[in-house]
Amino acid sequence: MSQRQTIIIPGSEKGVRVDSRVLEERIQKALADGHRNIDIIAQGQHGLGGRLWRAGNEPVSIRILGTSGQRVGAMGFPNTVIDVVGPASDDVGWLNAGARITIRGNATNGVGNAMAQGKIYIAGDIGARGMTMTKHNPRFEPPELWVLGGVGDSFAEFMAGGVAVICGHGAQQMDNVLGYHPCVGMVGGKIFFRGPHQGFSGKDARLTIPDDDEWRWLTAHMVEYLDAIGRAILFSELMADRSVWQILAARKPHEKAGPSGRNIHRFHQEVWDRELGTGGMIGDLSVQERGCVPVIATGGLRRFVPLWENEKYLPPCQAHCPTGIPVQRRWELIRNGKMQEAVDLALAYTPFPATVCGYLCPNLCMQSCTRQKADLPSVDVALLGRASLQAVVPAPAPTTGWKIAIIGGGAAGLSVAWQLRMQGHEPVIHDVRKRLGGKITATIPRNRIPDDVLDHELTRLEAEIPHKTLKHALTEEEFGKLHEKFDAVVIAVGAQKARLIPFPGHERAVAALDFLRASKLDQATVGKSVVIIGAGNVGCDAASEAFRLGAESVTLIDIQAPSSSGVERKHAEAAGAKFLWPRFTKVITPTAVELKEGEVLPADTVIMAVGDQPDLGFLPKEIKTERGFIVVDESFRTSEPKVFAIGDAVRLGLLTEAIGAGRTAARAINDMLRGRAETYDQLPGIDPERVKLEYYDPRLPRFEDPLSCAAGCASCGACRDCGLCETLCPQNAISRKERERGAYEYVVDSDRCIGCGFCAGACPCGIWRLTENDPLE
Amino acid sequence: MEPDGQLKPSSLSTKDLPWQVLWSKEKCSLCGRCTAVCPVQAIEPGVHRKRVLQVPLGLTEKPGNIFGVYHGIRQRTDVAHACIGCGMCDMVCPNHAIMPIHNDEPDKLRFHINQGGIPRRRGGRRNARESLLDSIKFVRISMLTDPALDAGRHEFELRTLLGRILPPEEALRVTREGGWLPPVREIYPLILGSMSFGALSPTMWEGLQMGVAYLNEELGMPVRFATGEGGCPPRLLRSRFLKYIILQIASGYFGWDEIIHALPEMKEDPCAIEIKYGQGAKPGDGGLLMWYKVNKLIAAIRGVPTGVNLPSPPTHQTKYSIEEAVAKMIQSMSMAWGFRVPVYPKISATSTALAVLNNLTRNPYAAALSMDGEDGGTGAAYNISMDHMGHPIAGIVRDAYLNLVKIGKQNEIPIFAGGGVGKNGNLAANAAALIMLGASGVQAGKYIMQASAGCLGSEADRCNICNIGLCPKGITSQDPRLYRRLDPEKVAERLVEVVVSFDTELKKIVAPLGRSTSLPIGMSDALGISDRDAAERLGIRYVL
Repeated sequence: MSQRQTIIIPGSEKGVRVDSRVLEERIQKALADGHRNIDIIAQGQHGLGGRLWRAGNEPVSIRILGTSGQRVGAMGFPNTVIDVVGPASDDVGWLNAGARITIRGNATNGVGNAMAQGKIYIAGDIGARGMTMTKHNPRFEPPELWVLGGVGDSFAEFMAGGVAVICGHGAQQMDNVLGYHPCVGMVGGKIFFRGPHQGFSGKDARLTIPDDDEWRWLTAHMVEYLDAIGRAILFSELMADRSVWQILAARKPHEKAGPSGRNIHRFHQEVWDRELGTGGMIGDLSVQERGCVPVIATGGLRRFVPLWENEKYLPPCQAHCPTGIPVQRRWELIRNGKMQEAVDLALAYTPFPATVCGYLCPNLCMQSCTRQKADLPSVDVALLGRASLQAVVPAPAPTTGWKIAIIGGGAAGLSVAWQLRMQGHEPVIHDVRKRLGGKITATIPRNRIPDDVLDHELTRLEAEIPHKTLKHALTEEEFGKLHEKFDAVVIAVGAQKARLIPFPGHERAVAALDFLRASKLDQATVGKSVVIIGAGNVGCDAASEAFRLGAESVTLIDIQAPSSSGVERKHAEAAGAKFLWPRFTKVITPTAVELKEGEVLPADTVIMAVGDQPDLGFLPKEIKTERGFIVVDESFRTSEPKVFAIGDAVRLGLLTEAIGAGRTAARAINDMLRGRAETYDQLPGIDPERVKLEYYDPRLPRFEDPLSCAAGCASCGACRDCGLCETLCPQNAISRKERERGAYEYVVDSDRCIGCGFCAGACPCGIWRLTENDPLE
Repeated sequence: MEPDGQLKPSSLSTKDLPWQVLWSKEKCSLCGRCTAVCPVQAIEPGVHRKRVLQVPLGLTEKPGNIFGVYHGIRQRTDVAHACIGCGMCDMVCPNHAIMPIHNDEPDKLRFHINQGGIPRRRGGRRNARESLLDSIKFVRISMLTDPALDAGRHEFELRTLLGRILPPEEALRVTREGGWLPPVREIYPLILGSMSFGALSPTMWEGLQMGVAYLNEELGMPVRFATGEGGCPPRLLRSRFLKYIILQIASGYFGWDEIIHALPEMKEDPCAIEIKYGQGAKPGDGGLLMWYKVNKLIAAIRGVPTGVNLPSPPTHQTKYSIEEAVAKMIQSMSMAWGFRVPVYPKISATSTALAVLNNLTRNPYAAALSMDGEDGGTGAAYNISMDHMGHPIAGIVRDAYLNLVKIGKQNEIPIFAGGGVGKNGNLAANAAALIMLGASGVQAGKYIMQASAGCLGSEADRCNICNIGLCPKGITSQDPRLYRRLDPEKVAERLVEVVVSFDTELKKIVAPLGRSTSLPIGMSDALGISDRDAAERLGIRYVL
C-alpha cells in the first residue's frame, strides 16, 4: 500500500463511536506508518489533526469528514494542513502552533483561542470568543484567522498578537459583523473587518483604515484564503471597495496610559469655567486671586510680619522706678561713652541721685531687672547713683515769675521744688528746720548715708532753692496767707507725728521717730536691754542705732511677720537684733514688756516703731483728708485746685515715691501755671520674655563698676543697634536706615520677608515682634 | 517652664508632648522656612548659649571658659503651642534638618489640653487605628462555579440605586394607573462627602466638585458629592453640575434661603436631598463653624453676616420624633422639587437606627437611609464626642439590611453607609465589605481629603486641626494665604485618579465573585472574618 495514498480512518466501528483516545492512537500510528494523507470520518472526536509532529518536516494533509469534534487542530504543527469539510465545533485551532485549518462552514465558540502560529480559514461565521488570547511569537510568523462572515460576541478578548480578517460576507448579523464588545483587553495584533460594528473596547483598541502596505497584505492573502475555502469568485466583491475595510489595532501601552478624554486643565477651562462663568464656582463672590501660592510666601501673603517696636515699651527698671528715672537710657549713654551725660541725666529726675539711688533706695529698678529671670545679677544702679556726685546742674529754664510755696523741705518738697525751679519757677521751701532734707537728714542713721554725700546734694539744692525757715509749726491762718500769696502751694510736710499705741504704760515708750531724731543729734540714750515694738524698717534703723548707743540686746517684736527688708534689716541683724513674732504687747512696765501670752521681755528702753502720721493742724477744712492723710488725685492735686500734696502726707512710702510724686506734681503745677493740658501717656512695660539673656555671661557674680553694668544691661525694649537682625535674617530682608539727627531705624523689605520670626527670636532687646498679618477676606 | 523658673501644674517639657521636634544644628541652614510654615507656632527661633571648658593638657595653665551663642530652632512647650506633628517643617526644610517624632509613651498633654475649662476640640479622626472593616475578607472566589471575570479588562457596570424602588407589581400598577413613581437615581456606589463649604476651603470644595464633574462628563462615572451643611455656591446651584450634587439640609439650615432663591433658575434638579440628623464625628451634637472661618465668602453662601459663630443645634428644633421628621421634613423637601428628587435622612449610626429604618419603610417618600458610623467625621467636634460617641457602622448596616430582608423590602429602600470607610487606606475593601453586608453604597470624606488633597491627619493624632482654620494644606482653611496653597485643578485631578483606582479595586473584589453588572449588595456569603464573635454578630462566615 502506497503511503502517498490517502488512508481513511473511520470514527466508528460497527456502528459504535470510537473513543477520542483510540482514534488519536490510530491517527498517530498511521503517521508513524508513513501515511501523510489521512481522511478521518469523524464522529465528534476531540482534537483531531493536532500534534502530528511525527511526520517531521513532511507535509501532512488531514481531511475531516463527518462531524468534527471540539478543538480541531489543537496544538497543530506547521507541517499540518487540515480541511474540515463542513462546520466545526468549539475551539477550532486551540493553541495552534502552525497548522493551516480550513473550516468549510460555520464554527462555534472559541475559534483560535490561544493560537500562536498557523492559519484558520473559516468559510462562514464563528461563535463567541473567537481569536482570544492569541499571540505573536517573534520567532514565527503571526497567526491568522480568516472569517468569511461575521463573528460572535467578545471577539478578540485579550488578543495579544496575530491578524484576524472578518470579511462580512453573508454574515448572520449584517448590522454587526464584530459581535458585542470586541477587543476587551486586547494588547496586540490587528483585525481587518468589512462591514458595520456596534462598538469595541476603545481603551484597548483604536480604529484605523488600512494603509497601502496593509491593503497590499490583505489583497495578497485574500487570494490565498479564498482559494483555500474554494470561493475565489468572491475576490472582486470583497476587495472592490477599499473604503469599506477598517482595522482595529491594539493600543500600545503608552497609548492606554492616562484617562481618556481631555485633561483636567482643559476641562477646567472649556467645561467648568464655561458653565459657571469667569472665576469658576465662586467667581461672583470672591475678589481673591485664583492660582496657587507658594507655601513659603512673601509680602501680603506672609502669615506673619515682623514689627520693629523700638522704645514702644518701657524697660522694667524705668517702669518700676517711682521717680521715673530712665535707668536704661543712662546705661546706654555709658555704653556709648557718654558717662557725664549719663550722670547729668539723673538730675532731670531727682535732686538726690547719689543719696537716694546710691544709698537709701531699695532700688525697685534693680528688683525688677529683667536679668533676674535668668538668674543673672541685676544691673547695679547704686554704682551709678554714687557716681552722680559729679553731676553738673543743668541750667534752669527762663524765669517765669510764678511763685510756689512748698511746705516741708523733705524728699518730696525738695523734689517738687527742684523740678519747679528747673522749669523756671520760683519755689520757696517753708520748713521749721534749718537743715533741709526731712527724714533723710533728721532720722536716717549715719551708717546708711555718708554725711558728705548728703551734704553735697543738699548744698546743690540750697544753691537753687530759697528756704524760709519757719519759727514755729504752721498755723491754718498762715497757710491761708501762703495760699493767697503764692500761685500754688505744695504740702510736703511728711509724717512727723509718731504713732503710739495706748498700751498700759505706753508713756514709758519712746517713738522711733523721736528716738532716731535724737540719736542723729547724738542726744539719745538707751539702756542695756531694748525692746522695739514694730519690726519694720524704721524699727530696724532704731535697733541699729540702739546698738550704736550701747545697748547689749535689742529685740524687735511684731504682731505679724516683719515687713522689714533690705539694708535696714541686714544692718539690724548684723548688729545682733532678735526678731520675734507674732507677739502681742499687754503692758509696758518700767523694766519689761509683758506680752499677752505671758512672756516677759526685759526692757530698759522701749521704742515704739508702729508708723507715723502727718501733722496737719494747719490744714483748712476745705482740703479733704482721709484717715489722717490728704486726699489727692493722680497728679497730686488736693480738693483745692491750687493746693497740691505729696509724700508721706498723702501716703507713707519710699523716698523714691516721694521724689516721684514731687516730679509729677511739678509737672501738673507747671501745666496749670502755663495753662496747658498735657497728657502724659505712660508707655506700657515690656514683656520680659521678649528680651534674650543668653547673650550675657551667666557666671558673673556681681557688677563692679558702671562700665560693666552698661555692658550687661539687656537694653529691654530699646534697640542697641547691634545689627544682629540684619545679619541673621535669612532673606536679607532687614536693613538699617539712617534718619535725621543720628536717629536710625531697622526696616523690613516685605517683598523679601517670609515672616519666619528669626529677627524676633534673636533680638537681644526684644524690639522685634512677629505679629499676624492683616486678614485677607 | 514659667519665666520666673517656677513650675505650674501645666508646665510641660518637650518629653510630655505628643510630638517632639527633632532639630539638627548640624544640618540647619537657618533659612527660617520651618518657623514661617508651622501652623501653630510650635517652633520658634531660639538663642542658645554654649559653653566650652578649656582645660589645657597637663593642667599647666588655669582652665578657662569660652562662652558663645548660636541660633537655632526651639520647640515651645506651652499647651497652646504644642506641636501637632503635621510635619510641615520637614516638608519645607531644604536640608531635612527638622522633623516631629511621636512620643514613645502616652503624652502628658492630654491631661492639660483643657485650659480655661474648655475641653479639647479638634477636627480629624478618632485616633483609633483598629478597623473591623479592614479585617473582613472576601472569601468566596469563583473557581469554576461562576463566570470568572477579569477586573482589569472586562467591562463592568458598577452602579447603585438611590431612591425608593417600588416592588414590580406596585410599579406596574402605578404606571398603569398614572400615579406617582418615586424618583430613583442610578449612581456610582461611592458618594463623596458629606463635607460642607466652610468646613472645607473654597479651593478644596471647587476641586472636588470639578473632579466630580469630570468623572461624570469625561469618564461617564456617575459619582455624586454630598454638600454637608452650609449651602452651595449660587453659580453651582444654577449650573448643570447641580445634578451631580446631593444637597444637605441640617439643623442650622445654613444656605437654604439661597437655595430656595435659586429654585426658579435651576437648570437641573440636584441628585438628591440629604436631611442630616447626625454625623459620625459628633453624634447627637451640632456643627460649629467658628467665627474666624466665617469670612465674606462663607457668609454670602450661608446667608449670614461675617465673623459670627455659626452653631447648628444638635437637633432640628421643630422635630420631636421619627414620625414627625419623616412626615414633615421628607415631605417638605420632596415638595420643593415637585417630588422629582429623592430625599433621605442621614443619621449617626446608633443602636436605635432600626426604629428609624422601620419608620422609613412605611413612608412612601423616603428614598433611602444614610448612616454614619463612629469613625466618621472630618469637622470640628469635641474630643469626647469624636473618641467615645457613636456606633460602629458594620453591625448597624448589617442589622438594618437583615431587618429589611425580614420584611421583604431589601430591594426597596437602599442603605448608605459611611464612617471610617478607608480609614486605614483600604477604601475599596471597606466599601465592598459594607456593600456585601447590605449597603447600597458608601460615603467617604476623610479618605478623599487625604488622597485628593494630601491631608496630613492620621489616626495617631497627627495634625487634626481642621477646626481652627489653620490647615497647612489649605483643605479646611478659609484664609486665602492657606487655601491658595491648594490648586483646585490638582485636587480634581487627584480625585479622578482616586475614584478611577477605587473603581479598579472594587472590580478586583467583585470580579472574582462573578459580578460585573450588579453590585453584590448583601452578598454576605462572600464575607469571612477570623473573629468568631464578629462572624456571629454579622452573620458572616467564620474563617481561619
